[in-house]
Amino acid sequence: MKILVTVKEVAEAADDFELPDGALDIDERYLEYDLNEWDEYGVEEGVQIAEENEDTEVVSVTIGPERSEETIRMALAKGVDRAIRIWDDALEDVAFLDVEARARILAAVVAEEDPDLVLTGVQANDDGFGATGIALADRIDFEWAAVVNHLDLDVEGGLAHVHRELEGGVEELTDVELPAVLSIQTGINEPRYASLRGIRQAQSKEIVPYELADLDLDADVTDSPLSLTSMYEPETESSATVFEGSPEEEADQLGELLGEMGVVEG
Amino acid sequence: MNFEVPDEHRMIRNTVREFADEEIAPIAQEIEDEHRYPAEVFDALAGLDVMGIPITEEYGGLGGDQLMYALVTEELGRVSGAIGLSYAAHVSLAAKPIELFGTHEQKERWLRPLAEGEAIGAWALTEPGSGSDASNMDTHAERDGDEYVLDGTKQFITNASEAGSILVKAVTDPDAGYDGISTFIVDPREDDGFEVTTIWDKMGLNASPTCEIAFDDVRLPEDRLLGTEGDGWTQTMKTLGGGRISIAALSVGLAQGAYEAARSYAGEREQFDQPVSKFDAVRDMIVEMDRKIERSRLLTHKAAAQYDSGGEVTKSSSLAKLDASETSREVAEDAVQVLGGYGYTTDFAPQRFYRDAKLMEIGEGTSEIQRMVIGRELGL
Repeated sequence: MKILVTVKEVAEAADDFELPDGALDIDERYLEYDLNEWDEYGVEEGVQIAEENEDTEVVSVTIGPERSEETIRMALAKGVDRAIRIWDDALEDVAFLDVEARARILAAVVAEEDPDLVLTGVQANDDGFGATGIALADRIDFEWAAVVNHLDLDVEGGLAHVHRELEGGVEELTDVELPAVLSIQTGINEPRYASLRGIRQAQSKEIVPYELADLDLDADVTDSPLSLTSMYEPETESSATVFEGSPEEEADQLGELLGEMGVVEG
Repeated sequence: MNFEVPDEHRMIRNTVREFADEEIAPIAQEIEDEHRYPAEVFDALAGLDVMGIPITEEYGGLGGDQLMYALVTEELGRVSGAIGLSYAAHVSLAAKPIELFGTHEQKERWLRPLAEGEAIGAWALTEPGSGSDASNMDTHAERDGDEYVLDGTKQFITNASEAGSILVKAVTDPDAGYDGISTFIVDPREDDGFEVTTIWDKMGLNASPTCEIAFDDVRLPEDRLLGTEGDGWTQTMKTLGGGRISIAALSVGLAQGAYEAARSYAGEREQFDQPVSKFDAVRDMIVEMDRKIERSRLLTHKAAAQYDSGGEVTKSSSLAKLDASETSREVAEDAVQVLGGYGYTTDFAPQRFYRDAKLMEIGEGTSEIQRMVIGRELGL
């Protein structure tokens, strides 16, 4: 069995970043890069499946510049077998890649790799479209399930028993036939720390660089009806209530507040 | 000259930093208050292959270098001096000498459990009456048939109460001076006559046990002798070269932890309608911290790099240890000052770094001894 895990390196802005008027992005000096949080769970899920099922290969794929190799190498350190990194001058020049473009590029990778299972994060914590996984499933005509927070894989039966997290604490139990795309929710597992031996071994694991032409794609894959028109920091409002007194008094005050807010009855 | 840490080292540092922030930082003050050796943290570190970084893979280590080990030690010190100290003593003083001077059988029996993190190690040189003048020791081992009989008391032994093995320095030939000292591997769990007589309450680092231990006619088979009779002092000098680099790295970590606490507080704490970092007096303190840390870290990395290239590290490791230990105490003191009244409370980390840092100027050669060593290296 082959599992493809899509991963993305995302930028996180420092607390004190500044956004000048008219700027369309946060300046590089305020940014730190890390693996997208949801993808950490996707990687862990893929690696756990490989640990439980013999002859399972886990391949990670990312769309990103050379800098993102370190992030993807961390996935290799945690047990992913090999990785693919797609980058191209044409990608360098665009402000952002929309869901359609990502799905088209990843679909080309799926055609190349022919996986049985594709795991994506539910969303990325930078642009947060939350749609890449499902758009990919649609494009490659795989079965799919979104916001999966529990996965029980029946490899022989070619079936994924999944729990999907819906709004309001409701869970949907669904069986999805393989090949399938599952978008993985945080909390589905407990992502491991990479072991130091894993990190050392990851240095010699393969990260294959692909350009668009290698996937039979043109630069027009980046064409998008979407354009970024402005970026600003929304005004935020928050209120804090400070309880004062003995622990008993504080507990009373908290109880009263929770009652007022309708969190508890009584 | 290349001041960039290699990719592999950077990934390892980042992973250990993440682990330290998530798993150690939240309990760092608690284990200090409870004087509790956190065995579960060392088990987790063993699971990440941290406990034997510079030990060969042949005996269960990671096969990393001194620089990698220094980077990791710094990260542990950045959140907990006590964990960093127990770790550094385990690796540099307890494990490394067995790798350098042990037989294949000794390495299988005593090094492997340390390198794999199955057991924590200790090393015993100091005595109640013999500190900086370490060669003037009373502990002695006498040959009796195919055994040695070990008697004496060792003082301020890190990890001894938790250890799976202790390397003990003892006089085997009282007339031979430095050449009459040998090293023995003691099994504190099995060897009759071994006793932990005191676990000290200390100014800081209380999650790392510091013990007085006594040997009362401890009978050791001859395969417990590390190297040959009379090698003990030469081994000690080699061991301390690496040990000083690890204490320097630990000190840099303490300083870094204190600096980060001060820097973040100074940016948030407002007085006279602005963050206190905007006042020159506070800003200058933080700039000084950064300057000292950068300097000490460079000296530490230089010594580690020299060690890795097989060079002589007596001077560079002493310089790094002297400089970094003073940096850690000074930076931690200023961090307490930046936090003001809060800095003096145990709700904030700087006081802990301050108390922990003081030991760095004492352990593994006091600052005074480091100056003596450096002076000698300068031909003075």
